[in-house]
Amino acid sequence: MPEAPPFATPYALPGGRYCISAAENAAVCAAVGARPREDGRAHPIFYYLATQNGMGITVGGLFDLCRFAPADGPLMVSTKVNFHAPILVDEDYAVHGEIIGLTRKPSKTFGAVDLFEFALRLERTAGGVVSECVNAWVLPRKAA
Amino acid sequence: MSKPDLSWRFGPIDPAAMRTLAEVLHDPNPIHLDARAVKAAGLGDRVINQGPANLAYVFNMLEHAGLEAVSLEARFTGNVRSGDDVEALGALEGESCRFTLITGEGLTAITGSATVRRAP
Repeated sequence: MPEAPPFATPYALPGGRYCISAAENAAVCAAVGARPREDGRAHPIFYYLATQNGMGITVGGLFDLCRFAPADGPLMVSTKVNFHAPILVDEDYAVHGEIIGLTRKPSKTFGAVDLFEFALRLERTAGGVVSECVNAWVLPRKAA
Repeated sequence: MSKPDLSWRFGPIDPAAMRTLAEVLHDPNPIHLDARAVKAAGLGDRVINQGPANLAYVFNMLEHAGLEAVSLEARFTGNVRSGDDVEALGALEGESCRFTLITGEGLTAITGSATVRRAP
């Protein structure tokens, strides 16, 4: 049942840039029942949204790397984040990250799953980490 | 959670909000957009809210209490669906806040903890 991951970890992601517009922040705030702040701070959930959008690869691309078909039902299982500074609207950020784990485990429900973990950091383009997170998904390996 | 110090309610969850999040996340997963896809996946008959949206409700609970997270860990333990009402609950102990997000049907969608401080 153990299967070697199709890449060595840590596996660096391309990374990229991301800027949260005031309109995008307002749309997200409206969608989740929050009022946009007037002090330039974005909703804190942008630690997740901005890093995922700026990591330089789509979620579908991540699953392709893992040789996983999204139709098999990926499950978002956990997230951890440290905030070092407020996330601001209309600020250019750099996003860096890497896949840190793809670990095969037995599963009573699916037979086998891979625990897929990746780390992402939101950084000021002038330097300085604003937030750093680790997100984890379970990828059911129904055919394993 | 025996005695919550914090509470924030929201709902009913609107499928239009899921479309907004799907656009922001560039997430084409049909379980957030099409009830037929949810049914085909054996996950019920209502579209399923995005996990980050569920977590956003926890951040809202903290903000409404005048708090902000310095760090946070969350586990996604259940689905929130179109039409659900949700309530984020938090128990404070010093700078630590243990939280849950529950649906009106009593399902726990998120559990976790955060280190918090007074928001500016």
